[in-house]
Amino acid sequence: MRDVIVVGAGGGGPVVAKELAAFGLDVLLLEAGPHYTDPRASWTHYENDANNPLTGFLRFGPSDRDKPAWLREEPQNSYVLQLAGVGGTTQHYYGNSPRAYRGLFAGYDGPDKDAYDTEHAFPFPYEELVPYYEWVEATLPVQTAAMGTKETVFFRGAEQLGIPVQTTKDTLRDSYRPQENAILQPGGTAGLTTDPARLRYPQATGCTYCGFCLEGCMEPIKAPRNQFAKRSTDNSYVPMALTASAWSREGRDVTLIPDAFVLKVHTERRGGRTVATGVTWRDTRTGERHREDAEVVVLAGGATETPRLWLGSGLPDPNGWVGRGYTDHFLDGVTGLFDEETGSSKGPSSAARCDFPGRGALEQLGLPPAMQAFTMALSDSGIRGRYTNGRGMQGPWDGRAGRVLGPELKDAMRNGIDNLVNILILTGDDVQARNRVVLSAFPPDEHGAVAKVIMNGRARTRRTVDNREFLARKATELLRKAGARRVYRYDWAPLLLHVHSSMRMGHSPDDSVLNADAESRWVGNLYVADNSALPNALGGPNPTLTTQALATRTAEKILTKHFGGTPWVRTGTPTPSTDPRISQAL
Amino acid sequence: MERRAFLVSSGLAGAALAVPGVAGAAEPDDAGLVRQALSRLAVDTFSGLAVFVMPGPDLYSRVQGTPRPEPGGIEARAPQFLVEHLNRYLPFPDRLAVPIMRALMQGAGGLALPSPRDDAPGGVLGRVDAGLRRLLENDATVPLAPVVALLLNLEAVRVAPLAVAGPFLSPFARLRYARKARVFELLEGPDPTLVSLFDRHLPEPLKGSVSGLLKFLAGALLELTALGAYSEWAVFDPDTRRLRGRPVGWQVSGYTPSIDGWDEHKGYYQGRKQVTG
Repeated sequence: MRDVIVVGAGGGGPVVAKELAAFGLDVLLLEAGPHYTDPRASWTHYENDANNPLTGFLRFGPSDRDKPAWLREEPQNSYVLQLAGVGGTTQHYYGNSPRAYRGLFAGYDGPDKDAYDTEHAFPFPYEELVPYYEWVEATLPVQTAAMGTKETVFFRGAEQLGIPVQTTKDTLRDSYRPQENAILQPGGTAGLTTDPARLRYPQATGCTYCGFCLEGCMEPIKAPRNQFAKRSTDNSYVPMALTASAWSREGRDVTLIPDAFVLKVHTERRGGRTVATGVTWRDTRTGERHREDAEVVVLAGGATETPRLWLGSGLPDPNGWVGRGYTDHFLDGVTGLFDEETGSSKGPSSAARCDFPGRGALEQLGLPPAMQAFTMALSDSGIRGRYTNGRGMQGPWDGRAGRVLGPELKDAMRNGIDNLVNILILTGDDVQARNRVVLSAFPPDEHGAVAKVIMNGRARTRRTVDNREFLARKATELLRKAGARRVYRYDWAPLLLHVHSSMRMGHSPDDSVLNADAESRWVGNLYVADNSALPNALGGPNPTLTTQALATRTAEKILTKHFGGTPWVRTGTPTPSTDPRISQAL
Repeated sequence: MERRAFLVSSGLAGAALAVPGVAGAAEPDDAGLVRQALSRLAVDTFSGLAVFVMPGPDLYSRVQGTPRPEPGGIEARAPQFLVEHLNRYLPFPDRLAVPIMRALMQGAGGLALPSPRDDAPGGVLGRVDAGLRRLLENDATVPLAPVVALLLNLEAVRVAPLAVAGPFLSPFARLRYARKARVFELLEGPDPTLVSLFDRHLPEPLKGSVSGLLKFLAGALLELTALGAYSEWAVFDPDTRRLRGRPVGWQVSGYTPSIDGWDEHKGYYQGRKQVTG
């Protein structure tokens, strides 16, 4: 009998595991995918090897790469970009760690309050989350990004948009800034040389500007795992969880089991109430099944797999909101072709952004060639110049929105991968009940009925559509002012990599699954600590930091409610995940 | 007649004719002949798709009407990339491939395919028909790549009936660029004729999902081809985890990675290294 079982070692689960382990709880952390303990021995920086959604080491599938990936049914033109493995989808994120917009929290009364989906607001005020933000920002740590060439180009355009530069963590108005990134900033020779002999730790520390954020971070060479530049949870929270006894006086090391796909959450009736008691998981290498019980179960499999597990376990769903309200930032992209060198493929992949509270955000996006081609080929507007699928929006960009393909794609790529600037559009999108995860009617896999992700990209609310169009115009304007010779807009089909709120917490029991403590409304001792617990899409800012702040708050609720502990975030001092005691203990 | 039209228009009959030794005596079920024909047809069809996404100096690009001097999808081995990924790495492809193939065979009449003018020589059409029927009756595993190829080819002859004959094994590969785009417009649409065919002939649960499946398939084919063609896949040695040459995508885009770091650090915007509040 464990104290706590955490299902999923992605962006949120390891946060709960680490925080509770620091207080001596017996925590079991289960992860469906592999644990890459020596990335340099297992990984490369090659795009297909890393990111191919069917075969890459960063895929949603078992650790044996000769076996097929795991299926999710997508009944529309869309692309679920989801990872299994310790670190989850943070293995290939860009470390962007902005705080959410205040307008998406209870009690917000700013002059722009009508610009937000207040119907699905956080069930507590923004100020309630700030100490947890600060705790996570110090733990990861989150730092202000440095510049490479591509950032200087981006800032040149942003300076002319007529908005100020932001110099605070909190975002209060339209503004631009270097990202607050969960990336250790370059130190020593990092960022100053291409010579591998001079890029070894500790001569080089932090980000070496290799340009491979998307392929999983393993820099600098020979650095201890908790000193790798990008603070994906496999480099930050997981090492802390595994070494809790080394850095916390009361700490107890977490037990991590990778290749363990959880099949079922068990419950029993206790005192007239249904409570969670444990889980059964399947060893994906041997097929063996195991069961383990715990006082508290925390689901953190992600916005797609957590509802799948819930529904597959037959847990209650009396208001029908399990899996509903799936938000995705209605992502879109624009690309500018420049005559000058931009260094698009070099350095941290996203180190600059603009925020437009009430609308969403823009962030600069550097890509190597295969992902560049992939993103240019993705659209809901058909193939540019040939057909539009009834869309093909026109605006300040060149021609219609759509897939850039064939000769045109080749011409754009021949402009030079390092003469491009991409801008990602993160739309403040409304929660809509119709966008959801259900169990597929397709044949089940070895883990039961698979998830079917229903994401209707064409039936968004008016506000969501308006926000996206506003941002696409702003992004184009920024590129033009920075000197782009040509600008493409894609009108992406749903690219599901920022996904949230499918198990949303909320004020109203009518349209939420979790209460304000992120505990299930209908099953006791059962919490959710991934992006799916977010009540909304935060208005556009990248979700990982907020998920981690919320997961820290959830850990505090669990300790105080179930284990007699006292809150620590407002009174304690966080240990940074780079602490040398962790390096030594690993 | 409908079945013959299906076998010819999908390119399967032509692909069977190209199988070495096909002129010999009929085998008891000829399933092996059909398997070989399907395999050849898949590579040829995906050659037409590879150059649609990334044209180059090859014959497929010339026939498409967009030849380019730089290496393209054929040199990047995108056809082999697609075949391998569709056949091997998608979860339970046979559970999709077999019912879709059956539905196409049974419902080909509804597609108004061009009538074959002559029977293929040597009774090959009959052998392919019998072999294909046996393959499906036996519940054998059918890979997904050739089924996707059949779909592209059937749409190709609906868009351009004359594509039923010409160079290559695949009608899709015979199309000009604009016509290939029309095939994808139909699939992304998705093509109401195909949807109604599948609705009539597919078992549950595929029946209700087919419209979404076509949209997903059309998008995924284009995006996966772009990803594979511009990646290092063709020259990557999985044993040594090194490249055997410079990937086509890198040549085209001028990409040269510096494996462990770049000298790109230009300082901090306005000198600001941290913010608070």
